[in-house]
Amino acid sequence: MAKDPTDVLIGGYLSSKAAHEDYEAVLNCGADVMGAVVVSKDLEGNLSVEQTDHMVKEGAEGLAAVGFAVGLFAPPLLAATAIGAVVGAGAGKVLHKKSGSKIEEQAGETIPLGGAGLIVAYKHANADTIEPSVTRAIKKVVGEAEGRHVEALKGALADAQRKMTEEGA
Amino acid sequence: MSEPDRSSLPIRREPFAGVANKTLDGSTPDWNLIGHPTPPDGAPNVLLVLIDDAGFGNPSTFGGPIQTPNYTRIAAEGLRYNRFHVTALCSPTRAALLTGRNNHAVGFGSVGEFAGGFPGYSASLPRDCAPLPRILRDNGYSTSAFGKWHLTPDGQQGPAGPFDRWPNGWGFDYFYGFLAGDSGQWDPCLIENQKVIGTPEGFYDEEDPYYFPDAMADRAIEWLHGVRAQDADKPFFLYFSTGCSHAPHHVAQAWADRYRGAFDQGWDRLREETFARQKELGVVPAEAELTPRDDAFPAWEDVPEQLKAFYARQMEVYAGFSENADHNVGRVLDAIDELGELDDTVVIWIWGDNGASMEGTVTGSFNEMTMQNGIPLTDEMQLQLAERFGGMDKWGAQIMDPHYGAAWAWAGNTPFKWGKQVGSHLGGTRNPMVVRWPERITDAGALRSQFGHVIDVAPTILELAGIPQPETVDGIEQEPMHGTSFAATLAAADAPEFRTQQYFETIGNRGMYKDGWWLAMKTERIPWVVTPDALKPYAPGVWDPDAGPAELYYLPDDFTQAHDLAAEHPDKVQELKDLFWTEAERYKVLPLLATLSTFFGILPPIDQQTTFEFRGDVQNVLSGMIPRIYNHSYAISADLVVPEGGAEGVIVAESDHLGGFTLYVKDGKLTHTYSMMGVFVFKQVAEEDLPTGEITVRMEFAADEAKPATGGEVTLFIDDRPVGKGRMDHTVPIRFSAYAGMDIGRDNGGVVDLAYEDRKPFAFTGTVKKVVFDIKPHLSDQDELDIHAEAHRGHAAHALSG
Repeated sequence: MAKDPTDVLIGGYLSSKAAHEDYEAVLNCGADVMGAVVVSKDLEGNLSVEQTDHMVKEGAEGLAAVGFAVGLFAPPLLAATAIGAVVGAGAGKVLHKKSGSKIEEQAGETIPLGGAGLIVAYKHANADTIEPSVTRAIKKVVGEAEGRHVEALKGALADAQRKMTEEGA
Repeated sequence: MSEPDRSSLPIRREPFAGVANKTLDGSTPDWNLIGHPTPPDGAPNVLLVLIDDAGFGNPSTFGGPIQTPNYTRIAAEGLRYNRFHVTALCSPTRAALLTGRNNHAVGFGSVGEFAGGFPGYSASLPRDCAPLPRILRDNGYSTSAFGKWHLTPDGQQGPAGPFDRWPNGWGFDYFYGFLAGDSGQWDPCLIENQKVIGTPEGFYDEEDPYYFPDAMADRAIEWLHGVRAQDADKPFFLYFSTGCSHAPHHVAQAWADRYRGAFDQGWDRLREETFARQKELGVVPAEAELTPRDDAFPAWEDVPEQLKAFYARQMEVYAGFSENADHNVGRVLDAIDELGELDDTVVIWIWGDNGASMEGTVTGSFNEMTMQNGIPLTDEMQLQLAERFGGMDKWGAQIMDPHYGAAWAWAGNTPFKWGKQVGSHLGGTRNPMVVRWPERITDAGALRSQFGHVIDVAPTILELAGIPQPETVDGIEQEPMHGTSFAATLAAADAPEFRTQQYFETIGNRGMYKDGWWLAMKTERIPWVVTPDALKPYAPGVWDPDAGPAELYYLPDDFTQAHDLAAEHPDKVQELKDLFWTEAERYKVLPLLATLSTFFGILPPIDQQTTFEFRGDVQNVLSGMIPRIYNHSYAISADLVVPEGGAEGVIVAESDHLGGFTLYVKDGKLTHTYSMMGVFVFKQVAEEDLPTGEITVRMEFAADEAKPATGGEVTLFIDDRPVGKGRMDHTVPIRFSAYAGMDIGRDNGGVVDLAYEDRKPFAFTGTVKKVVFDIKPHLSDQDELDIHAEAHRGHAAHALSG
């Protein structure tokens, strides 16, 4: 029997309100979510993090050991996709680099002032329900990976980050 | 005293008619010596009102959805003119209005920000074209102007003048307003006569905040009272030129809320509703047809449901803003009435100088400058950025500089095609006009349909005042006004057509009217798109103006330009094309597209100045006057005196949180914040406290490369010691603000960094002795040239939204 792949969706936003609306939409869409986190930073640099408990657990166990770097910022193109990539890639890096209580510390370095990011992990079987509920992301990518539970999560996140950066450029 | 010779201005004083002996013995005075010129007997007061960036189908007086009770009152007591025309752009219409001459002929083929090297585009009034206020003033009128000016070249708007290009230099005794093409209504950078007075004190009053439209009316009424307190008889000429309805659309929420839900039907349906009312009112003939929507505008039904409220609110705010303008003009009218002089006052009120503006692009924008800086934002992005600054209920507040979407402007120009910038079509050129003067008008509430143009207003006012056009002014022979008085139409609905021919040209869009026929030659560029690809077809050697699309309309039968007759009348098309070229040469329209010449490599000389010093408490440096730090490396240094115990506050700040920079000290730390139009905000903070004593601080921006919007590295220094750093991935390529100024030692008006918003203007508590901008030289002459070219292209792009 084929394993159900794990998906990680990263969304980038220019406002906290939009990111939170999508976060709530994901949680209320009726499908099982492995975890979700929304990180936003106001114009003065104050951070706000909201996440499902499950995501903290998965992140702490599965992502702390990952150490590869990705290009965080798209080239300075004044294009719509690049703007989305900046905040989206920032969001991706937050979860990629750290998790749990250290998300705020890393988000301080990666999320642009006034921006927000959403990360959602779920089984691919639920993609048709979860992805359409994310309607306000300026840029949205989905990474996918198979494998053991934590490895799949890591792989899907890395895939999403790569797409976010490459497509943003 | 005999009637003076008014053909030569200033009016010469009559010879001394008394006797001056060696002593008073036998001497007799001539008291006329201390008199002043007086207008002819019966010369009326004149109130000339010009609304900005509005369309034929906006005010309810002409069937629009915006309630304009005062406009309707004046129309009911006067006349509506439904075939009156403007130039399709801000400064050009104002120049034509105030000089009675075609706009190109007086140097205003484009706007004040773009002073080009061709006679029709110099933005500098020729001395042989003395303007109306100067003529009226020299003939004994008290003259004043309130509100938007937009007739002073960018770069000449500081204490160095030259002031002959400011309102006083045009003949206004008194001016209160702003020189630029637009202004924040909550936080304007004000001018009073020849002084930049900057942000009004009331801006800081949270209980009763300053609001420019209210202040305009207050000042106008105050001026009227002052004039009357001194002289009960001297007629006045009051030019009331609102900043409304140009972006930013700033108005209190209560005004916008009057229209809550009023535009939920969308722009397509709104046009149909307006058109029906226009026919009911008779301002559009019964047989007229509503022109269709161009593909450049989206259909309302194609707007995503989740974004419809976002779009609708844009129009609600615009409508409230516009109704407020009507309200404040009404206050001025009431004040004149209270003086008992309304019936002695010719009221000419033009609703719009160029048709409604489509420069908000399809999406509308939380910040009008995003379009001008070439930042492509989707409607979802615009909504999110609006949410970042408080959401759609704050769309009209000082926290944003909003502009609505282009399709709302198109609806505001009902029943016509297109809008502002499009001189080839009626959407950009036909605006409502209302005239009231019971002295001549005997059929109050009636309609006039003679074809008129804004150049006809000044000759009309002179005729009604009994004042001739001067032959010489200051010894300089004058070019006769190009306009023709329409005074005869006041008394007679069937007065003959006074204007049978008129050219139109705005940024390459051309119209040629003659005896009812209108040839329309629009460039294929969409007005709000100035990308290289969009401009490529118009490059020298590429563009053949005669080869472009040409439409022909016969307006007596086709009020709206709905039926293109070009294919049926090729001879008429050619005749009007030929006539256009004749008129273009005569009135200095050539070369076509001079407005965009910088896009095609025609550049002014490179400014050799690379350092700019600001000593002491210099404030309110207007936005077009700041050192041009855009698109390359630069450094800003400041010599400070920091007292024992430390200091805090702003060292230097330009503009506000929607685009600008600030270097300041807070919590003991030197900080640099840079807002890339409110889309991206970058901040660098020193890692050590600011020392006391005499110190020098500096921020350096090392650009990645000399190109538009370049990213780069920022380093902060204290006495040449690096104390902080950071990166800015995007910088502003063209201009931070249309109106907000730069200040040394504080941050006047809206602040750049909202972290000190509650302490604005956050004046520096130490001493700022000097601030120096160093626009660092580039690696090659080509870099310099490239940056110079980009700067001027940006300038031209900014100018398009005048």
